[in-house]
Amino acid sequence: MKTPDALTHETTARPATRRRRPPRRDKLAPYLFVAPFLILFLVFGAYPLLKSVVLAFYITSGPRDQVFVGLENFRFLLTDPDFWKAVRNTVVYTLWSLALQIPLALGLAILLNSRWVRGREFFRLAFFSPNLVGQVFVGVLFSVLFVPQYGLVNRFLHATVGAPLDTRWLSEPSLIMPALVLTSLWMYVGMHMVYFLAGLQTVERELYEAAQLDGAGNWGQFWHVTLPGIRHVLIFVVIISTIGSFQLFELPWVMLGRSPGPDGAGLTIVMYLYINGYVSGDLGYASAVGWTLALGLLVVSLLQLRLSGALRS
Amino acid sequence: MARFPYGASAGVMAGLALASGAYLAARRGQQSRSDLRLWTFAKPHGDAYLKMLPDFLRRHPGVSVDIQIVAGEAVTSRLQAAFWSNLDVPDLAEVEISWAGSFFRGRLESIGFRDLTERVRRTGLWERVVQTRFAPYTTRGRIFGIPHDVHPVMLAYRRDLVEKLGIDVDALRTWDEFVEVGRRVTIPGKRFMMELPPEGLSVLEAMLFQRDGGYFDAQGNCTLDNEIAIETMRYYAPLAAGKGRIGNDLGGGQIFTRALEDGYYLFMIVPDWRTKTIEQDVPKVGGRMALAPLPAFTPGGRRTSTWGGTMIGVTKRCADPDLAWELMMHFYFNKEALAEQFRNTNILPPARDLWDHPAYDEPRPFWSNQPLGRLFANLAPQTPPQYTSPYIGLAKAKLSEALIACVRYYDRYGARGFDGFVRQQMARAAAEVRRQMRRNPYLHENA
Repeated sequence: MKTPDALTHETTARPATRRRRPPRRDKLAPYLFVAPFLILFLVFGAYPLLKSVVLAFYITSGPRDQVFVGLENFRFLLTDPDFWKAVRNTVVYTLWSLALQIPLALGLAILLNSRWVRGREFFRLAFFSPNLVGQVFVGVLFSVLFVPQYGLVNRFLHATVGAPLDTRWLSEPSLIMPALVLTSLWMYVGMHMVYFLAGLQTVERELYEAAQLDGAGNWGQFWHVTLPGIRHVLIFVVIISTIGSFQLFELPWVMLGRSPGPDGAGLTIVMYLYINGYVSGDLGYASAVGWTLALGLLVVSLLQLRLSGALRS
Repeated sequence: MARFPYGASAGVMAGLALASGAYLAARRGQQSRSDLRLWTFAKPHGDAYLKMLPDFLRRHPGVSVDIQIVAGEAVTSRLQAAFWSNLDVPDLAEVEISWAGSFFRGRLESIGFRDLTERVRRTGLWERVVQTRFAPYTTRGRIFGIPHDVHPVMLAYRRDLVEKLGIDVDALRTWDEFVEVGRRVTIPGKRFMMELPPEGLSVLEAMLFQRDGGYFDAQGNCTLDNEIAIETMRYYAPLAAGKGRIGNDLGGGQIFTRALEDGYYLFMIVPDWRTKTIEQDVPKVGGRMALAPLPAFTPGGRRTSTWGGTMIGVTKRCADPDLAWELMMHFYFNKEALAEQFRNTNILPPARDLWDHPAYDEPRPFWSNQPLGRLFANLAPQTPPQYTSPYIGLAKAKLSEALIACVRYYDRYGARGFDGFVRQQMARAAAEVRRQMRRNPYLHENA
């Protein structure tokens, strides 16, 4: 066991050894350690990204047949009604998801952050647990819950509000989006709740006490203390929810039987990309869709950051 | 270990990387040992082939065959990826009919399957098989797949309920007669004359094919706006919408089971394969079901259609295409084995000369002792063609959009202005498909 004196001695002695030129082996070491990641990233990350930029200017049939078409893919994309249907569906889904998920998650987080609720740990786990299963599993589960005549959702609605038993949630175009939003609500509210809980626990108690002394009620405390206190978490949750919603694919793909559903009511941008790239085989067009989506997401995220004032801070 | 350059951790990591790499390399060696590798997406097919395989291996000593069941749609995406990367390509693969067209998108020489046209002609298969069944697996005049089946279509019905309602099934010779009875016995929300989806395409497609219509013609041109397609839509939508509707659809699986048990549907359209699904999924109605030919659209017209299908193809990566062909012939044209397969799957094989086996005349208790095989075999020669294209997925999506628009229109406005609306919707659907097709620079090469 080394004494404190010995440690001090070693520390002070180190500059003398530093003057020596490090052996060649030590110079190489960092590069060798980084190399596995770098090689994998270059091969599976950077190269496909760059390749997809090039591909976006070709009409392809698989990777071998390619014809250069310049900006034709983008021109076709912007005039394709299916693309705009996918954009419309995705935006509607995103807006509804944000409008429902965020307040619900925040409300649950505030509730479960309260000292007066018993069994908080159990409820936190219960609300978070849908995240432990994948979208495919959730898709299968909800496609059973939503079946007409015998499904649990219809049975419940029939018993409570007298809704017709043969409501076709997943085959009536106007009901497909509500079904998807409800499903995603079940899946993601718990995850957002955890983020908000973490944020709420950083808000100092003294601020609430001060606000109470100033005569602020519950609503005033929420508006002037809680919300500013978790502002950064809120911005983060809104941005990741937006990005996640724009990337929606598995859930409708599974729930609608590996199709965009009747009338394309469940067609999302990523599903549109998948169908064009992997069903029709036009990887060039799919690349154009992918880059358009990426640019769109960038613009939306920057807009959100700007509107929330996060860029200034 | 401490002497390993950069310490023990790096040594452990390097060791793990080497060990896992060696394991994968060894597995790869194991996988490629078979002389022939076949991918199929249907477990009943795979099970049947495993039973037929020992006989083939006896006749080909020293040959090994690996049959892999790749689930559902995965077989298509895996196969597509395998073709594109030229890695892990099987020697033979079965593809479902609605996905086959997606393999024919590029230049003929870039298609991952071998061109079987000459072999089909040379071996007499062209004459033996119901010729319309080659259509879905043909592009630009070249055949890339052998049909596994014919899949003619009949009407299945709850015999007990139909008799109770006093319906004489033999008298339902045309769709008009069928619809007339249907309007009499349908009680919306409780009982429908037939399973008929207002948003799905299965029955509309069957009706379209029955009338010699379809999504594409033999040359691959989109035909969604021809008179047959317009007429079929005009006929179909009022059956699924408005006051005179005779059909509904609740969905598949357990829901279908409950609906059929409850007598929610009286009739449903069934290809041969679906009769087995019904036998397995709805055993309670055994002995109370029966089959009848489809009503015709015109007196004396065609009494069947088609629904579904599978092809098998030999890939270009196959090192021994002659052996692969022999295996295909063994699995698809072995009379005794196929008769046994028919007993297990109810699927009629595609060659006419196979249908004289006694297995096809056996009465089936589930179907009120009707000889199921003979009923389908009698209709099989009339099976209509089903032409395909790489754009079949898009065409289906567009037809679905048109169907929903027409059903909604009819629900809201009835027959007023309906004809013009149908024409407009079908023209729009066809225009969308053609717009996409025009972008493909390869489609009309070598045509």
